[in-house]
Amino acid sequence: MTTPALELQHVAKVFRKDRDIVRAVDDVTLVVEKGEFITFLGPSGCGKTTTLRMIAGFELPTEGRILIGGRDMTNIPANKRGIGFVFQNYALFPHMSVFHNVAYGLKSRGEDPGRIREKVGNALELVGLAQAVHRYPNQLSGGEQQRVALARVLALEPSLLLMDEPLSNLDAKLRLHMRTEIRRLQKRLGITCIYVTHDQAEALTMADRIMVMQKGKVEQIGTPQEIYNHPRTLFVADFIGQANAIRLRTSGYADGKAWAKVPGGWQLAARTSGGTILEKGTEAALVIRPERIRLEADAQAAGTLAATVAAATFVGSHVEYELDLGEGNTLKATVPYDPNARLHQEGARVGVRIDQESALFIPIEAKQG
Amino acid sequence: MTAASASRIRRPSLALRDPALFFALVTLWLSLGLFIILPFLRLLQATFIKDGALTLANLVKVWGKAYNRRAFSGSIILATGVSLAGTLLAYLFALAVTRTHWPRWVRWLLSSITILPLISPPFTSSISLTLALGPNGMLLKALGLGELNFYGFWGTWLSETLTYFPVAFMVLAAILSAMDPNLDDAAFSLGASRRRMFWTVTVPLSMPGIANSLLLLFGSSLADFATPLILGGHKFPVLPTQAYLQITGMYDLRGGATLSVLLLLPALLVYGIQRWMIGRKSYVTVTGKSGARSNFATLPRGLEIAMVIVCGLVALFIAYLYFIILWGSAVRVWGVDNSFTMEHYAYVFTHGRKAITDTLKIGITSTVLGSLLAVVLGYLFQRFRFAGRKTMEFVSMLNYALPGTVVGIAYIIAFNEKPLLLTGTITILVAAYIFRYYATGIRSVMASLQQIDPSLEEASMSLGAGRVRTFMEVTVPLIIPAVLAGMRYLFIHSMTAISATIFLVSVRWTLLTTRILESMTELQFSQASAFSIVLIILVFIADIVMGWALRRSSLRFGTTQETSYDNTGA
Ligand SMILES: Nc1ncnc2c1ncn2[C@@H]1O[C@H](COP(=O)(O)OP(=O)(O)OP(=O)(O)O)[C@@H](O)[C@H]1O
Ligand SMILES: [Mg+2]
Repeated sequence: MTTPALELQHVAKVFRKDRDIVRAVDDVTLVVEKGEFITFLGPSGCGKTTTLRMIAGFELPTEGRILIGGRDMTNIPANKRGIGFVFQNYALFPHMSVFHNVAYGLKSRGEDPGRIREKVGNALELVGLAQAVHRYPNQLSGGEQQRVALARVLALEPSLLLMDEPLSNLDAKLRLHMRTEIRRLQKRLGITCIYVTHDQAEALTMADRIMVMQKGKVEQIGTPQEIYNHPRTLFVADFIGQANAIRLRTSGYADGKAWAKVPGGWQLAARTSGGTILEKGTEAALVIRPERIRLEADAQAAGTLAATVAAATFVGSHVEYELDLGEGNTLKATVPYDPNARLHQEGARVGVRIDQESALFIPIEAKQG
Repeated sequence: MTAASASRIRRPSLALRDPALFFALVTLWLSLGLFIILPFLRLLQATFIKDGALTLANLVKVWGKAYNRRAFSGSIILATGVSLAGTLLAYLFALAVTRTHWPRWVRWLLSSITILPLISPPFTSSISLTLALGPNGMLLKALGLGELNFYGFWGTWLSETLTYFPVAFMVLAAILSAMDPNLDDAAFSLGASRRRMFWTVTVPLSMPGIANSLLLLFGSSLADFATPLILGGHKFPVLPTQAYLQITGMYDLRGGATLSVLLLLPALLVYGIQRWMIGRKSYVTVTGKSGARSNFATLPRGLEIAMVIVCGLVALFIAYLYFIILWGSAVRVWGVDNSFTMEHYAYVFTHGRKAITDTLKIGITSTVLGSLLAVVLGYLFQRFRFAGRKTMEFVSMLNYALPGTVVGIAYIIAFNEKPLLLTGTITILVAAYIFRYYATGIRSVMASLQQIDPSLEEASMSLGAGRVRTFMEVTVPLIIPAVLAGMRYLFIHSMTAISATIFLVSVRWTLLTTRILESMTELQFSQASAFSIVLIILVFIADIVMGWALRRSSLRFGTTQETSYDNTGA
């Protein structure tokens, strides 16, 4: 195996402000292969930016080591790391033209003017802004500023490209466009890339692998499908996509599957998260994706749970139902809209069919949930 | 005024359409006409009209004297020197306070010490420099320098630089801390060294602030009257003192007026450039939503070392100057008999008592009336559209833009004979202060109204409140921080300014500042020091109280109101 592009080993960051101590990043370990596209995903304040800034060298980790291309870079200052960083607000130099913005890093390196002109031209070509060389940042739209910011780091051919919510200042349409644009560039240049976002759609569509964070800790690292289909924790299940969670006590376990009595009165068997063995009587959440639920008009149909429709909302391609299972348990279901069938009305009794293959038991730890 | 309505539709006559607004405008135009336009025109008349005909004879005559030409070039050279040195010093201080990782108390101390010159009367540093470096100077003796004649350019330059650099400090500290720290990070991650980052990012982005503070200091020095009067001496004449001596020494009102018109040209030029620069959209403000919290990059090492030395020495020197004035106020005869005494304070509180109460009366009256007027004008300019609004705004700020000496001379010319015989009355003193120093109030009221969405007032009206009630209960509370900031500025300056009022004082009304000047000219240094200390303490207390009220009111409404101390034309 080749040396990984980036390695974080038990990295932690503690901020001290007055008497406050914040563990912004807590024991993060991650290995990134060359050419990979990784996203950091998590709620606001979970430490994504701080982790990224430590990789860039803007902050020094309180604990742990950072290796880039196999070299220990933990204490190397940012201007010696050769890493590209794209800021949320682009941080273009407002007093320099596009040309000089893009040329800035090359000049720092002391390259000769001819080479600089050539490389700036290439970088701007790459992001499709060759015609804007002489303009100033305040004469560019948000999307164009974004591209200049990208060109500015790409001109340096960095070994690692870091981006902190680069699209969050753009409108929705442009955001979708830039997603594919960035991904296309990254694949074409084969750059290793770390991309911070709190938009799960962005993470799911762009990433090779996602690192989900919460309160400074890593919750799970995996491909988008892994994260979606096999969430390790209730937090991940809930944060990525939507999830119903029914609290239960398991009544048995065998071969990676556990079962428990569901409110309808019968036993439901499902995988356990990560295949962990759940002893009988473990408190666990049964996680079911709303789109993995089907409704039947017959509340008594075999293999279904009887429920009452509490609310039905038509959203175009889908209908979103809120279902009452009794005993305080509710479920959300997202059902494709069929123009030929009638909606289930509020108050109607329906049969709930759960796709047992996709359902998942996640043990509830003492403190969690 | 408060019952006036904002109407944008063209209809026949304002007097019929909106009598309240009409009445308010007429009243305001009359007072602006009386206290700003009339004196200004009379000044021009005294200069350019002789025997009913337009003439340049006065100008030619004044310019013909070599001494006056020296005063003109002296003014320009001094202003240039103060502007350059003050800006450099202010930039180092501003960098130290906003961009270093020095212990917090050090940075706090540095920025606090710059407040002292801002709230002190304009003589303070001249007096203490005299005590330190003048005849019998303490520092001279301590350093064993013997005789050093520092009267003239160098003394004036040093004193003005120390007096005015804090204004530039405020401008530069504001612009330095408003920059986006991400730019530092960006430069850094693009491989720039600290040095390169500083020269290619920090300095270019400070340029608007640097330019502004150069102009500000140039204008302040040009208009300064007190410092050259005490420290300039005969060898180094400048226009304001020359004009003053022409009038008080030779009773030549026309000659004084003409000299002050000479002063007017560079002053208005500077003011014009400044306005033009503010009008231009600055690129510093163009930044998107900022991302993470971040710190500014460390400065180049060499620069930090220079900053430690310069800021340390200057801060120490300022502290020393204030200490020396305190000491000087409590010795029998400075440099001759240094035994402790309170007799000067006793003198201040007996013979000087009238000056204290007069100064307070005038200061308080000016502050109250001036801020009321500022609210009214600011509200009109920001919320109403009427013919001549731009002109009115310009006129209302004119006295602020003019050097104090010019205003003072214009006032004695205009108000020295019947039916407008007002010189020597409290009216004229108060008017001189109000129409000069309410400008900050007007500006901050306008700025804060600009941030208050008119829909708030519309909401109040749609809830059934009348115009008056809306203004009193919605608008006024929201602009209180702005009004307080304006009051603070007005009060400090009405207590300490002298350049305009020196021409207007009389036996009936004396000011602390004129008493200080008298003591200085009589070489009663200790008395001057005691008067200064009392004045500084009065202003300091008032400033702290108003600063506290300002912070409280800003906190309550979640707005921040920048405080402006700027000293132009004190
Ligand atoms: N310079 C700092 N000083 C003190 N605390 C900080 C600093 N920077 C970040 N923090 C704290 O560290 C925690 C993590 O912040 P971070 O910016 O990494 O979050 P984030 O995941 O990027 O959030 P967001 O999605 O809102 O950008 C937060 O609690 C934040 O308040
Ligand atoms: Mg962040």
